[in-house]
Amino acid sequence: MTGRPVALVGGVTTAFGVRPTTWAEMAQEVGAALFRAIPTLRAEDVDSLFVGAAEPERFAFQSHVAPLAAEQMGLQPHRVIQRTELACASGQSAIRSAYAAIAAGLSDIAVAVGVEKMNLPSMAEANSAMGCVMDRPWDGPHGATAPPFFAMVAQRHMMEYGTTEEQLAAVSEKNHRFANSNPHAQFYAKKFSKEKLLGLPVVAPPLRLGDCSSMTDGAAAVLLVADKFVRKYTETPAWVRGTGQYSDFHNLANAGSLTKWTGMTHAAREALRGAKVAIGDIDFAEIHDCFTISEIVEYEALGLCSPGEGGAFAADGRGDLGGDLVVNPRGGLLGCGHPLGATGIAQAVEVYQQFAKQVPVARQVPDPEWALVHNLSGSANVHSVMVYHGGGAS
Amino acid sequence: MSAGAKSRRIAPTPASSDTETRSVPRAVPPTERPREKRPFLLDFFPLEGPDQTRLSRFYDRLREGRLSTTRCPKDDEWHWPPRVACPKCHSEELEWKDLPERGRIYAFSAVLGGAPMGMEADVPFSVGLVDLNGVPLRLFGRIEGRPWPELHVGDSVRVEPYDLGDGRVFYRFRTID
Ligand SMILES: [Zn+2]
Repeated sequence: MTGRPVALVGGVTTAFGVRPTTWAEMAQEVGAALFRAIPTLRAEDVDSLFVGAAEPERFAFQSHVAPLAAEQMGLQPHRVIQRTELACASGQSAIRSAYAAIAAGLSDIAVAVGVEKMNLPSMAEANSAMGCVMDRPWDGPHGATAPPFFAMVAQRHMMEYGTTEEQLAAVSEKNHRFANSNPHAQFYAKKFSKEKLLGLPVVAPPLRLGDCSSMTDGAAAVLLVADKFVRKYTETPAWVRGTGQYSDFHNLANAGSLTKWTGMTHAAREALRGAKVAIGDIDFAEIHDCFTISEIVEYEALGLCSPGEGGAFAADGRGDLGGDLVVNPRGGLLGCGHPLGATGIAQAVEVYQQFAKQVPVARQVPDPEWALVHNLSGSANVHSVMVYHGGGAS
Repeated sequence: MSAGAKSRRIAPTPASSDTETRSVPRAVPPTERPREKRPFLLDFFPLEGPDQTRLSRFYDRLREGRLSTTRCPKDDEWHWPPRVACPKCHSEELEWKDLPERGRIYAFSAVLGGAPMGMEADVPFSVGLVDLNGVPLRLFGRIEGRPWPELHVGDSVRVEPYDLGDGRVFYRFRTID
C-alpha cells in the first residue's frame, strides 16, 4: 500500500428491513446516528463525502444523490464529493474511493455513506430494477435476475462436487444465528433451524427462500481519516491495509466456469499482498453471502479450502465461532438483508466494532487482529476486497 | 488475458458449415402471450431499429428466422453479444455469421416468483445457459417447452426466434422432444 496511512475510526448502521421511510430520510437518520456515535466529529471537519448507492434512479427516481445525501446529513463537503455505483458493491466502492482520496492527500477527513431504498409498493418494479444490473438488452428480456443466476451456480456446484442442500442450509443457519445478536438485522430475533430452512419454498431451483438475501431498506456510514487525525476520534482504529478488485465479464454468456470465481481469487490476493498477510492470518471475514452458494464458492476462491470442499467447510462449522476463522459474524446479507449501497459500509462498521469489542458476545470474535471484507456485484462478475488491521497504532 | 478470461473460452471448435449456408428466410411465430405496451425504461426488450442501434441487422436477420452474431475475421473471435468493435483486436471490420440452431443445456434454473415487470404472467418460467453446437459460445436464454422439473443438464434445445407483436423480435430456446 502506498500513500498516507488511512484508518476507519467509527461507523453506524440504521435498522435494516422493510422500512416505512424514504431514501433521503434514511440519509438523515444515518447522519444523525454518525454524529451521535462520534461525539468529537464536527460537520465542518468533514472535507469529503462518498455516497454508495446502486440504483436510486430506479428505486427512488432520484439521480445526483451525492449532494442530496450531503444536505440530508448536514455536510458541506469542500474537497471531494461523489457517488460510487458498483451495484451490490457500491458501499465498498465508496470506502475504497475515500481511502484513495485520503491516501493521496486530496482529503483528510471523509465520510463514506451507503443508502438504498428497495421495497416499493410494486415489487415487480423493484424486481425490474434488479434486472437492470444484468446486461439489459441481451440477458434482461429472458428474465435474468440474481436468483436464477446463482441457482445455476448452485446447480453446477452440486453436479461437479456433490454439494448438498443441507450444506447450503448450514450457511444460512449460521448467518441467521449471528443476525439474532444484531438488533439492526432484517432477521433479528427470527429463528431459522436447518430443518425450517430446508422446508421453505423453492424460489429458483435448487435455491429456497432461506438461500437468498432479501430486498432491504437501510443505510450505513463510516468515518475515514488520515493517520494524524485518528486519535481525535478513536482509540481503536481499523487501518485499511489492502485493497483489490477484479472485473471479469458482464454478459452471462461470458461467465465461463460458474463454480470457480477466479476474479475473487485475484482481488483477494492483491488485497492480502498489500497488507503483507496470508489468508491464514485473517481472524474474521465479512464476505458477500447474497446467496448461500456464494459463501461456499467464496471459501474456495479465498483458498480457505480446496475447490469443491466449500460445502463441507460450511457443514463442519469451519467458518463459525471456534472454526478456522469467523465468517459473517454480523449476520451476513442472509441475516441482515442486502440494501445494495449500504451493505459494504455495514460490513466495515462490523469490522470497526469487532476490533473495538463493541458487539454482543454471541458474535464477538476473540481478540481479532486482521479482517477481510468482500463484496461481489451483479452476477459475481466483479469482486472487491479490502483488508483491515486492528492493531492500534499506525 | 487473465486466467479468468481464458477459462471462459469454450471448446474452440471451428464453426460447422451450416452456419455459413443457411439463408432461407422463414416466418417467425408470434409470442403466445400478448404483450402489454410499456415505456422503454420499464421494458427489457430493446429498441431494435437502425435509428437506435448499429446492431439492427441482428434483429433484421432474427426476423428472417436466423440467430446471428458478429465475428472478427482477423483473429477468428466469435462475439456474444454482437458488437461493433472486436474486444480482442479492436477492429471495427466485423462480419455477421449465422449461429447453429441447436445446443445443449449447460445449466438451468427457473423463476418461480419475483419476476420483473411484464413477466409476471410468464411465471413459472425456465432460463438456462446453452452451449451452441460447433461454435465457442454459451448463450443465456429463456427455455420454453418441457417445464423445469423435466429439464436436465445436457438436454438438447433449439433456438426459437419469436415475434413480439409490436414490430420487434427476440429469441429463446425450446426443448426438443
Ligand atoms: Zn478481433
